[in-house]
Amino acid sequence: VASAPGLYLHIPFCSAICPYCDFSVLRAGVPARKRFVEHLVAELPLAARGWPETRPFDTVYFGGGTPSRLPPEDLERVIAACREHLPIEPNAWVFLEVNPEDVTPDACAAWHGLGVRTLSIGVQAFSDGALRFLGRRHSASQARAAVESASAAGFHTVSVDLIFGLPGQSPEAWRRELATAAALEPGHVSCYQLTIHDRTRFGVAARRGQLSEMPEDEQAGLFEMTHRVLADAGYAAYEVSNFARGRDHESRHNRKYWDHSPYLGLGPSAHSLATGGVGSSGAHRWWNELRTPRWESRVAAGERPVEGEEVLGPKALATEAVLLGLRTTAGIDLEAFTGRYGFDLLAANDALVGSLVAEGRLAVQALHGGGRRLVTTVTGLAVADGMATAFDIPLPGGHER
Amino acid sequence: MDHIRNFCIIAHIDHGKSTLADRLIQRCGAVEARDFRDQILDSMDLERERGITIKANTVSLPYTARDGRTYELNLIDTPGHVDFSHEVRRSLMSCEGALLVVDASQGVEAQTVANLYLAMEFGLEIVPVINKIDLPSADVERVMEEIDRDLGLDPFASIQVSAKLGTGIDELLEAIVQRLPAPKGDPAAPLRALLFDAQYDAYRGAVLQVRAFDGALRAGTRVRFMHSGQEHKVEEVGYQRLKHVPAAELSAGEVGYVLAGVKTLSGLAIGDTLTEVERPAAEAVPGYHEAKPVVFSSFYPMATDEYGDLTKALEKLKLNDAALIYEKDSSAALGFGFRCGFLGLLHLDVVQERLEREYDLSLILSAPSVRYRIVLNDDSEVWVDNPSFYPEPTSVKEAYEPYIKATIMTPERYLGTVMELCRERRGVETTFNYLAAGRMEVLSQLPLAEVLFDFYDRLKSSTQGYGSFDYELLDYRLGDLVKVDILVNGEKVDALSQLVHREFARPRALRYCERLAKTIPRQQFKIAIQGTIGGQVIARTTINPFRKDVTAKCYGGDISRKRKLLEKQKEGKRKMKMVGAVEIPQEAFVSVLRTEDDEGDN
Repeated sequence: VASAPGLYLHIPFCSAICPYCDFSVLRAGVPARKRFVEHLVAELPLAARGWPETRPFDTVYFGGGTPSRLPPEDLERVIAACREHLPIEPNAWVFLEVNPEDVTPDACAAWHGLGVRTLSIGVQAFSDGALRFLGRRHSASQARAAVESASAAGFHTVSVDLIFGLPGQSPEAWRRELATAAALEPGHVSCYQLTIHDRTRFGVAARRGQLSEMPEDEQAGLFEMTHRVLADAGYAAYEVSNFARGRDHESRHNRKYWDHSPYLGLGPSAHSLATGGVGSSGAHRWWNELRTPRWESRVAAGERPVEGEEVLGPKALATEAVLLGLRTTAGIDLEAFTGRYGFDLLAANDALVGSLVAEGRLAVQALHGGGRRLVTTVTGLAVADGMATAFDIPLPGGHER
Repeated sequence: MDHIRNFCIIAHIDHGKSTLADRLIQRCGAVEARDFRDQILDSMDLERERGITIKANTVSLPYTARDGRTYELNLIDTPGHVDFSHEVRRSLMSCEGALLVVDASQGVEAQTVANLYLAMEFGLEIVPVINKIDLPSADVERVMEEIDRDLGLDPFASIQVSAKLGTGIDELLEAIVQRLPAPKGDPAAPLRALLFDAQYDAYRGAVLQVRAFDGALRAGTRVRFMHSGQEHKVEEVGYQRLKHVPAAELSAGEVGYVLAGVKTLSGLAIGDTLTEVERPAAEAVPGYHEAKPVVFSSFYPMATDEYGDLTKALEKLKLNDAALIYEKDSSAALGFGFRCGFLGLLHLDVVQERLEREYDLSLILSAPSVRYRIVLNDDSEVWVDNPSFYPEPTSVKEAYEPYIKATIMTPERYLGTVMELCRERRGVETTFNYLAAGRMEVLSQLPLAEVLFDFYDRLKSSTQGYGSFDYELLDYRLGDLVKVDILVNGEKVDALSQLVHREFARPRALRYCERLAKTIPRQQFKIAIQGTIGGQVIARTTINPFRKDVTAKCYGGDISRKRKLLEKQKEGKRKMKMVGAVEIPQEAFVSVLRTEDDEGDN
């Protein structure tokens, strides 16, 4: 169910570009970072003018890239500018993505002072071999130290990002990674299967036959193990790649992406979704220029740096609701779905749901207050995208342009 | 009348009949050089591509011979495939002579013999033509020997040509004039004109191709079809050059076209006789018999919303193909479609391809079936050509299936293989004769159903292309039939049900299961494919589900991208048929009908 809007700020800088990363990132020195902050601050009034929602934002998320490359004063300046131009809850939840090498007790204190409540650390691995393969700039011991410092600094939630499915990674090696993470007791863990994207160094290596993603069965084995091991350690999965030690540690910002809550994205490549102002049954999504120089030049020209947009009709929204709902353990509230889209999802996909329930990939749960929920099991999460493709959405038309 | 020569060209597939026809047309100047395109008579793309003639075409050629006289040469094209032998008969009846084309490297083949027998049955004068003498592999001497021994014709009377290069065409034209007899007939007698073909023209309706035997056809004449009883008023008659050339009359011995306000081809029977209402002939031209379909299959549109298009396409096709029959059919798995009857497998193929190409339809076909005669316990009789309508097995007393007499010609070294193939296919009374040196003729009585199922392909591959095959229907014989059903996750795919000889039920069912397992994409749940007889499972395969099919990240920018990808995948799935929750691609339905040899291509 849609909640208050969330604000996303994309900080594209990294000290080096990881060979697997396909985000909008770049390396730059101090002057370029200063210039970037100026532009980000300049984008705010432009974006605020086109923002149709009236409810205040209750989350502010610094993502990237590596937001920890920006000094705390810059982050503070950006937050202040946000508050100046947009309605933001006084106690809005601030998320900050950081790299382990930037996590020092001093930095943590500064971030904490800025209102950061979730510190998301790009650990990726706790072993030097894996870190080297992933092209990371920190060591295993730095990774551990970073999590420990963050935990000591009093953030509400420390989140650890890990990558699994490295070529040749044994189940044992991955189990050790998970055990190390769990032993540090962060409130939140994200475990991403290594994906080889075309326009990355890994992608180039894959085209040359030097590298490939893990075979499906092994991927599935690691995926299922991840869920088992983390569940045993007290981390409940709430999405394909996300685990939390208690509901309170789940990402209330990312949840907005998955339930069609509104979000405003600033900075290059950032996406926005507005549900107000385009009629009761539609939504409007737009996205900024992907590349930082182009984004900067449009902001400098006083334009909204929007590269593309789409209007989502009921069919597109329902399609996404299924696609996103199946990726979360909260699943799809069937009565709410019927109310919103005007058809009964189960009735329209009778045979399919029957087969998937029999296969143990979906379950239909009765809710306490009446009604039913379609939820995905662990083996179901492993094939959530494929399942979504199989669902029939009997609404007219595609999405309007 | 003595300046007319009515003749046809008979040949095995690929022996160059159409090219030869092109050359004759060109030499007679019936077509301007700039209008010339190869294989003029094969008007369908499909015919040109496959090198076979499906619809007979006719052309009248004015030819000035060496004796200085101008002759009217009526070339009556004949379809080059056993499926269309009823059309061949009608064409042969309209002729006094035939050019029998033999490929200089391939030699005499089964169909050549069958066609020769047909031509001789109709008393035609035969001119053997050895074609493709330009080929490096041409062996004219050997072919002459075969013409002598296999066909019993005078090899020295044969004309050697290369239709491709034009060599020998003049000699051939002279032979047509000198050696083929002129037609006979009485222009004063009551009208008798044989309808040997008809085409549908969008503007003019049915264009009748006729050969006048007695009397004359003129515009204004009221005519009656002697078999169907239909009456029409003749609007126009004329000669079939490459275009229609109207004439005052078509008189005894002549060949030409007739327009008589006939709207469609569906009521016409090829082989019927036209006579004058005022002064009817006493007897029709003999030899009329109805073309009966022997192979049946159901056609379903891949996308359910194409049913209307399929209906229209079949209506149009039927205008041009009197032998095609169809009626409404529906399948639990595939929705609405049509049960169609064909003269043979090639006819089926041709109809399917034309529907797909000319009408841009995507089709699913059920397994072809023959027509069975079933005697029930109460001694009543039913005819079944659709496995869906096979009676409750306990109520069946006896089942009879059609048999054919197959004539196979093969080099001697493949005799064993060919005999074995016939045995495998339940052939009985299989015998063989020696023909020319190293060549054998194998005769076998086979159930037609076994021939439908990739027999010809197997014969071709096991004789390295040298085996040739022809057949005629014999009779109905008692058979031990069972109905094999295919179930996908417990749901019967009725379009895949088949009637099979009990002995072949298990291997056939297993093969179907395996083919389906290969072509149905994996899904997120396990798919069981079973072959059953009356509920008892006799074959089974399983498609294991995906175990991992999800991307790791799904945040702001990923969502639109993901949805668009999903929409694209869904678009692709429109081409799938749903059986329960299982998505079955068209490819799966096609694959089960494919022969073993094709498998290597995948």
